[in-house]
Amino acid sequence: MGEEQLVFGPGALIAVGLYLVSMIGVGYYARSKRQGNSMADFYLAGRSLGLTVLFLTLYATQYSGNTLFGYTGKTYRIGFEWTVSILFMFSIIVGYLLFAPRLVQLARKEGFITPGDYISYRFRSKALTLLSTVLMIYALCNYTLAQLKAMGAAVEGITNGAVPSAYGIVALAIIMVIYETLGGMRSVAWTDVIQGVVLLLGFALLVVIVPSQLGGGLDRVVEKLSAMDPPKVQVPDWQGINSWISYVFLLGCGAAIYPQAIQRLYASRSLAVLKRSLMWMSFMPLTTTLIAMVCGLTAIVVLPGLEQGETDQVLARILALIMAQSALGYWLVVVVFAAALAALMSTADSALLSISSMFTRDIYKPYIKQDSSEEHMTMVGKVFSWVAVAILVGVAIVTEKTLVRLLELKFEVLIQVVPCFFLGLYWKGLSRQTALAGMLAGLAVALGLTWSGNRLPWGFHAGVLGLFVNVAVCAVGTWLRPAALEKD
Amino acid sequence: MEHRSFTSIRSEPRKVRWIWLVYLALYAVAIPWYWPDEYVGPIVLGFPLWVATTLLAILALAIWTTFVIHRFWLVDDEGDQADG
Repeated sequence: MGEEQLVFGPGALIAVGLYLVSMIGVGYYARSKRQGNSMADFYLAGRSLGLTVLFLTLYATQYSGNTLFGYTGKTYRIGFEWTVSILFMFSIIVGYLLFAPRLVQLARKEGFITPGDYISYRFRSKALTLLSTVLMIYALCNYTLAQLKAMGAAVEGITNGAVPSAYGIVALAIIMVIYETLGGMRSVAWTDVIQGVVLLLGFALLVVIVPSQLGGGLDRVVEKLSAMDPPKVQVPDWQGINSWISYVFLLGCGAAIYPQAIQRLYASRSLAVLKRSLMWMSFMPLTTTLIAMVCGLTAIVVLPGLEQGETDQVLARILALIMAQSALGYWLVVVVFAAALAALMSTADSALLSISSMFTRDIYKPYIKQDSSEEHMTMVGKVFSWVAVAILVGVAIVTEKTLVRLLELKFEVLIQVVPCFFLGLYWKGLSRQTALAGMLAGLAVALGLTWSGNRLPWGFHAGVLGLFVNVAVCAVGTWLRPAALEKD
Repeated sequence: MEHRSFTSIRSEPRKVRWIWLVYLALYAVAIPWYWPDEYVGPIVLGFPLWVATTLLAILALAIWTTFVIHRFWLVDDEGDQADG
């Protein structure tokens, strides 16, 4: 096993091609539905997203290419210890509960479009807003990069290397940026509806076919795995437990303040819609991340002995095996492959739209052209999207890090912005100077540990230790010199 | 920032301490720190016992969160009812 190639016939290629072209069609339709050229209309769909659209755009955006490719690869490497991925994806919703009720209220009242709008409003500090924006843009570029890398891995994996990853990256990135610049958030959210449905269908098919057709059922997979590689079935050791706690903080706090996630909070039509969407999202790790883990476990048994660099392609390889088994398997794999593309594109397009909005609103307007009209800024945002995609595609083609590693590096810096939201919305005494000092201290710890080779001291992520220092600085600073006593 | 901005919030989960005690208890079950070293246990629904326990705890966390959002995140005007 393992030598089969995942080569699509003309029918499957046409189906996937139509699916991709339909995204551009949605972009045109979204463009025709715009209410004007304002930034709120382009970047937040005029704050009009209803329940179905909001839930599916939250889902498709949060469950990315990493969930399919990175997480199956990680499970392949560490086994059941990656059950933590289900817990940390759930923890993002708990993260929302810690700040969203106030942020949503404030965003509606003040008309926020970007996370930087809130930071600027709350702290009245150009330095803090700029640093936060740069960190968030860096994190999102990294995130988009991971999706682009996964697109390459998917294409290369399914063709067993016949089509180089660079071709897949370029083609999908172009489609994505076309529909994004056509309709903005409306276009991204509506394509997310299609992509979210395809993704749900893909995961449903994966859980039905992978363990049963390839591994003889989950019980049999676990039995074989216990005999082949016992540590992958055993409970984690103390360092592993620390790593679980660290992941809960890293993702629960970090992913909750993803700019594209925050902008979806802003874009909901009403609080009732947002609350219902978040309730549904609470259950999605059990229907999505768990399935990715089961696929990774099956792959350990079915495709043993893969090298580190090959592990992010295990999903593509097991799909190739299913495809070779029957005509039904062939078409099921076509749907799953479409789901994989959906996961990658829906996450990357949302990140790209956020990058574009933050560059335009939080950097271009205050620092480059202060008297820009809304129409001009929307245009600048569209042009910037193309420039950003061109740069990211170039970087994606030349870098070789594994997908999960890219994910972690992103969170190590993004998580340092967390106190501005989690504490800033509740601690009246948190001043701009203290928040900035905390952020810089957290960054120094996170980057210092990472660059000195101590990426996971005692199993904790460097970024999480940086966050603890960051929060401590904020607490001590607020106690010693509360904002109310400052002469601003 | 004026904290008067939040007067329309009737209830928010962060302000209710016992909610977080329940979260703490459920996370303490979900994180598998309490099993013996190298434990696997019997297979339950296809998973080793320690994994099945974690999954059940995550399901409980999701149900709890749904209840918390529904019951403790309340604002004077929540807008229209959620539909498509």
